[in-house]
Amino acid sequence: MEKKKGGKGGPEKPVKIGFEKALKELEEIATRLEEGDISLDESIRQFEKGVQLARFCRERLDEAERKIEILQKGEGGRVKRKKVDVEEDTGEITNEDDLQGSLL
Amino acid sequence: MNDNSEQQKVLTVSEITKSIKRTLEGRADFNAIWVKGEIFNLTLHSSGHIYFSLRDDDAVIAAVFFRSANRNLDFKLKEGISVLVLGNITVYEKRGSYQINVSMMKPEGVGDLQKRIELLKLKLVKEGLFDPAKKRPIPFLPRRLGVATSPTGAAVRDIIKVALRRYPNMEIVIAPAIVQGADAPVSIARAIEELNRPEYGVDCIIAGRGGGSFEDLMPFNEEIVVRAFFDSRVPIISAVGHQIDHPLCDDAADLAAPTPSAAAELAVPEKKELKEELEYYRLRINTAMASIMERLDTRIANVTRLRIFRDPYEIVNRAEQLLADMSARILMCLREKVAENRRRLLIIPDIRLLIKNRLDNKLHSFVMALKALEQLSPLGVLQRGYAVPLDETGAVVRSVRDVDVGEFLKVLMQDGSLECSVDRIKPGGYHGKEKRG
Repeated sequence: MEKKKGGKGGPEKPVKIGFEKALKELEEIATRLEEGDISLDESIRQFEKGVQLARFCRERLDEAERKIEILQKGEGGRVKRKKVDVEEDTGEITNEDDLQGSLL
Repeated sequence: MNDNSEQQKVLTVSEITKSIKRTLEGRADFNAIWVKGEIFNLTLHSSGHIYFSLRDDDAVIAAVFFRSANRNLDFKLKEGISVLVLGNITVYEKRGSYQINVSMMKPEGVGDLQKRIELLKLKLVKEGLFDPAKKRPIPFLPRRLGVATSPTGAAVRDIIKVALRRYPNMEIVIAPAIVQGADAPVSIARAIEELNRPEYGVDCIIAGRGGGSFEDLMPFNEEIVVRAFFDSRVPIISAVGHQIDHPLCDDAADLAAPTPSAAAELAVPEKKELKEELEYYRLRINTAMASIMERLDTRIANVTRLRIFRDPYEIVNRAEQLLADMSARILMCLREKVAENRRRLLIIPDIRLLIKNRLDNKLHSFVMALKALEQLSPLGVLQRGYAVPLDETGAVVRSVRDVDVGEFLKVLMQDGSLECSVDRIKPGGYHGKEKRG
């Protein structure tokens, strides 16, 4: 019953898989399960993989944190990031008073 | 009416403008003149009128090409091309400007700027900067979007607005750049290069600016900028001007967007749609799995509905019942047979009597048969008075012709024999019939 042991048996984690690929794979899994001509074992494996991929995709969608930064030249010419606020409706940077217009 | 007057005369704006108008439009050498220049600030108005400016290295003149006049135009107007126009100088009082009212236009070969661009293009094409095979795909879902443009222009606003609308938690890094004027090319190239540094984690860059005149967009035709687009290791989208503008950086970028807003749409997916798509697949997977389980359930139910699982004792009971019935029937049959056979045995009273009867019967039949046999025997015949003659060899004599006179015959009688000699032979039937005659 318990087959968590040994990396092979357990459901593999979609570590380096891209979002698009994960999404595509999800669709394939859905199609495969809907067609239903795979064994019960395989169905369960596919289902587990689907659950994993869906979780991965959801996490990936939400993992970014709304953050708008602008690069500014600091002392000694080092470029630094500066967080700015934007007006969502217009896309306007609201605290742009002392912003440099270029990195030159 | 405004003849020279010593007195300082005050004119209204309309009056002086009228005067200028009359002066300019009245001059013969301002009428039906051919003027050569490079087109810029071209506006194709929806009314059908065409507004533009003509320029050379040092001067600019506004021009208007009304619909009625431009109907027969047989070539495509483009920013930067050199043209020859035939027209009159007119004054537009409402704006206080003069212009050339074009009645006819001819192409005059490619303008100098355009020529420079074409030459650069040829050179860069040869180097492979525009090779479609070198273009990389734009990531499906960027982790962090880099934007190289002016931090105060319309472009950056449009990009931020569209990106956040589509993906509210998108991360954006802006590299500020001067996008017009002499410093623009270096500044733009520098911004793109900076965004390529891995520490920013930018995996998609939009570089460009909003719409402007041909000249305004010129930096994006400069070699250093085009090369910066090509050299970007991070996939880069060019987003310069309006739909009609097509600077060289468009060809060097991995993707050319018609406008900055369009670039943001190409770079940033709609999060809501992705969520919906994801949800859709999840639902399909869950539904499919549920239906697989349901089918399995039905199969199990079908099996468990079989009587053996529902009431296993019933089957055993039934079998037991059957067994009991069978053994009862077998016993009954046996009992019946035994009784019958015994009865049959009892019916035979005395086997010896039976045998004696049978023997008597047989004996009687035998005696009868013997009697019949006696009738047929020669001895029987003899008893009835017949005799049998035998010759010397003991053979029966059947005919008188087989006998000679003097021959001895033995005549068998019933109770002995006679030894006789033949005295005489009389042939002929002894009942008067003679067979052998």
